[in-house]
Amino acid sequence: MQNPPGEESETSLSVTPPKKWAAGVPAVVHALEYSLEQTSPRRTGVDLLTMNQVGGIDCPGCAWADPAPGRRHRNEYCENGAKHINDEATTRRVTAGFFREHSVADLAGRSDMWLNQQGRLTEPMIKRPGSAHYEPITWNDALGVLAGELNSLASPDEAVFYTSGRASNEAAFVLQLFARSFGTNNLPDCSNMCHESSGFALSETLGTGKGTVSLDDLHHADLIFLVGQNPGSNHPRQLSALEEAKRGGARIVAVNPLPEAGLRRFKNPQQPRGIVGRGTQIADRFLHIKPGGDLALFQALNRLLLEAEDARPGTVLDHDFIDAHTTGFEEFAQHARRVHWDDVCTATGLTREEIEKVRDEVLESKRVIVCWAMGITQHKHGVPTVREIVNFLMLRGNLGRAGTGACPVRGHSNVQGDRTMGIWEQMPDTFLDALQTEFGFDPPRAHGLDSVDSIKAMREGRVRVFLALAGNFVRAAPDSDVTEEAMRSCRLTAHISTKLNRSHTVCGDTALILPTLGRTERDVQADGEQFVTVENSMSEVHTSRGRLEPASPMLLSEIAILCRLARHTLGDKAGIPWEKFEGDYNTIRDRISRIVPGFHDFNARVTRPGGFLLPNPVNEGVFNNKVGKALFTRNESVVPRAPEGHLLLQTLRSHDQWNTVPYTDNDRYRGIHGSRRVVLVNPADISALGLAQGDHVDLVSVWSDGTERRAENFQVVSYPAAKGSAAAYYPETNVLVPLDSVADVSNQPTSKGIVVRLEPVLDRTHPSPA
Amino acid sequence: MAQQKDGLRAAPRTPGTRTGGDGGTRRRPLRERHVDQTVEVAVPVRTAYNQWTQFKSFPRFSAVVRDVEQVRPTVTAWTIGYGRLHRRFAVEILEQDPDAYLAWRGLEQRPWHRGEVEFRPTGFAGTAITVRMRLEPRGAAKILTRSSWAARLTTRLVHGELMRFKEFMEGLGQEGGAWRGTIRNGRVQHDRPEPPRSRVAQWPVG
Repeated sequence: MQNPPGEESETSLSVTPPKKWAAGVPAVVHALEYSLEQTSPRRTGVDLLTMNQVGGIDCPGCAWADPAPGRRHRNEYCENGAKHINDEATTRRVTAGFFREHSVADLAGRSDMWLNQQGRLTEPMIKRPGSAHYEPITWNDALGVLAGELNSLASPDEAVFYTSGRASNEAAFVLQLFARSFGTNNLPDCSNMCHESSGFALSETLGTGKGTVSLDDLHHADLIFLVGQNPGSNHPRQLSALEEAKRGGARIVAVNPLPEAGLRRFKNPQQPRGIVGRGTQIADRFLHIKPGGDLALFQALNRLLLEAEDARPGTVLDHDFIDAHTTGFEEFAQHARRVHWDDVCTATGLTREEIEKVRDEVLESKRVIVCWAMGITQHKHGVPTVREIVNFLMLRGNLGRAGTGACPVRGHSNVQGDRTMGIWEQMPDTFLDALQTEFGFDPPRAHGLDSVDSIKAMREGRVRVFLALAGNFVRAAPDSDVTEEAMRSCRLTAHISTKLNRSHTVCGDTALILPTLGRTERDVQADGEQFVTVENSMSEVHTSRGRLEPASPMLLSEIAILCRLARHTLGDKAGIPWEKFEGDYNTIRDRISRIVPGFHDFNARVTRPGGFLLPNPVNEGVFNNKVGKALFTRNESVVPRAPEGHLLLQTLRSHDQWNTVPYTDNDRYRGIHGSRRVVLVNPADISALGLAQGDHVDLVSVWSDGTERRAENFQVVSYPAAKGSAAAYYPETNVLVPLDSVADVSNQPTSKGIVVRLEPVLDRTHPSPA
Repeated sequence: MAQQKDGLRAAPRTPGTRTGGDGGTRRRPLRERHVDQTVEVAVPVRTAYNQWTQFKSFPRFSAVVRDVEQVRPTVTAWTIGYGRLHRRFAVEILEQDPDAYLAWRGLEQRPWHRGEVEFRPTGFAGTAITVRMRLEPRGAAKILTRSSWAARLTTRLVHGELMRFKEFMEGLGQEGGAWRGTIRNGRVQHDRPEPPRSRVAQWPVG
């Protein structure tokens, strides 16, 4: 283990050619290197060998599903999962002495990476009004301060309770129960910023907010689309599933503005061919699409399929499915036939021939799956794009059969489960009625605030208290300056956290750090050792049990913190057995089993090896939407445009990054080393803009409110990005995303397709990265 | 092709060939069969069919089925084996008509197989169960299954399994559960607006 960095390291940018393959031996080396930098070989071994195993730790890195019990590798994790788990299992500690040494203002000037590298939080801390430093506080006093502030509010709606996707099902359930028994539905979550558009579009068209495929479906598909996602860095275990699909004969079409390494070739380090061979080619066809052109692409494909049916009636479309299970086909078809090729080619940057070749692949395939991620959902037209993907799948009956379906690929490990547990500001009456019946209180019915609206409410003084269950809200949210101002305007901000991040440093008058157990750690309560449960991206619910001793004896579990806070705040008012919940998580699961559909016999079923699979109505022939049938939709065409001299920016992660936390300044797949303040631009665009590789520029976003949003001092890197587009890392570029720039219908911030100009930095002294 | 029949007076019938939309029976008779085995079970058709749909209970009577995982109504994952040798493969049900017929196909590329099972009433409130299978293995297995020895072995295996099902079913006398849904072209045709299994969270998941 190495000591944490004392000062920010100064490194300069070097650029190498982008990699043409992902994983392989370097992935193993990098994973072990980072793990051993953070912790001991023994702890690394304990973590990695129990990770994603039956009875072991669920990797918090992503929500990708595990193979069935008995089919898992001894090492069932990826490079980024290994880094993430040992980033949490680090033996570095942040103590009271650290906070005496570093003022809040000092910490606010540090980089995300530096803050994370300091190690695990070990005891509750408070920053009192007017104080420059955090100082220790007892748990009782800390929760008393928070409860006192909550009880002093003029209305429960002046509080906001944010959840990050790392939280377990049990913690999420307890949080929403506390918030609703306190009297508010203000339950924003990180879903608001990642797959909200998927949830809205799928619920409307198919009657389920979740994907419809399993790992087995991927293995047995004929054709898989990977649209707006980067599996090599963001969910690397997906590559194993894709490899198996390819070995079964599947073909893959990748659609992305960047030719990511993981879309090209995968060297599976668990297979001899991945170590000494060439690995497996992933994409058979790569569509180098412009950001935001995906809606036009699927509209064009749908038009081509309709025309193919006209040419060969009865051979292209699945009329049995369309007639028996869908509605709205005629209106959709009429609309789809009017799609203009000029618009399609402008929006996508692709030629008609390229799209027709994909049409041919579709016609040769009986079983098609479409996977997508934030490259789709974070556009203004994210919801229509997902709807159009559903249209595409329905035309040939690629829903509800083995080897077919819709696959939104989620990032946070339990982001799906937290929603299932009721973390949503607009929960339906059926759920609230069930809460009322079970617990005997009257939950508030008025919809609460999501992430964007919470920031607005904080800024306007309508919200006074902000509590976050995990996460790094300040860095995950858009319009960083506005978000930070909003947080600073709160009377109290509190974070239940494992490690230090910027959200602790940009805080209200009073701020609390409530340190908690991580996934890797043993959780012992009054009734003995506990486990928690999670739901992955494919609706499998299973256990997670840590093995390591806690980072500090002062740590409480997330559930314990929330239950104690509820007791401090509500006393016996609501008649909810918070103490029992804290002592025995089985008692929480018993309540969940009576409230959340699909969780009957929760305790018994979840402890079976591999847990249980929540049914998916679509795969049962049921469409639980308003019309009771799968819904074809008409979606207006969108041609994303940037004015002359501007580019369409997409924000993205580096390979050495987990959500808002960069582990290093490197992004080796893209050939970026030593700096994160880079903007990747097509060489033709660099030349057209009169710039050169290595030039320093400010990124300035253009938005209708006329406010100048500027991300300073980025270096231009020549990169095979789609022409007219640019890419740069978040959270550094979140400052460019206007708070009011949200996706239609879903209110999801638009972190893709931001119109920016690149202003050369001339005389100004370059500020150091922050 | 090997054929064999056990028990009494099975009602002779060629697999149906009616076609229709999602609402009608659509059988896909196996013209080329490597296995065609019939057994008569002394329980009514409904009882025999219902028990057959309880795939997870197959290890209770089978000599080779170790575990069955019901992935969804149309997809099951089977683990079969002798001794320490195991193989897991996924199977998709393509067509299913209560009390009458069920057709499936293996989802694995190697080896590939498809099959059907038919339930017919007999004169004494019994049921004739016919299993037909077609195997299309690839690679080395392809050469092996060309031999009459391999065909005989498979036939004997299926025959043995059917006899064990008969013994199991007649011993129980009644089914231990039922799935009464219909499947067309690999897709469930629901008969109720909200079957119990579909009752899951319907709110959007971000």
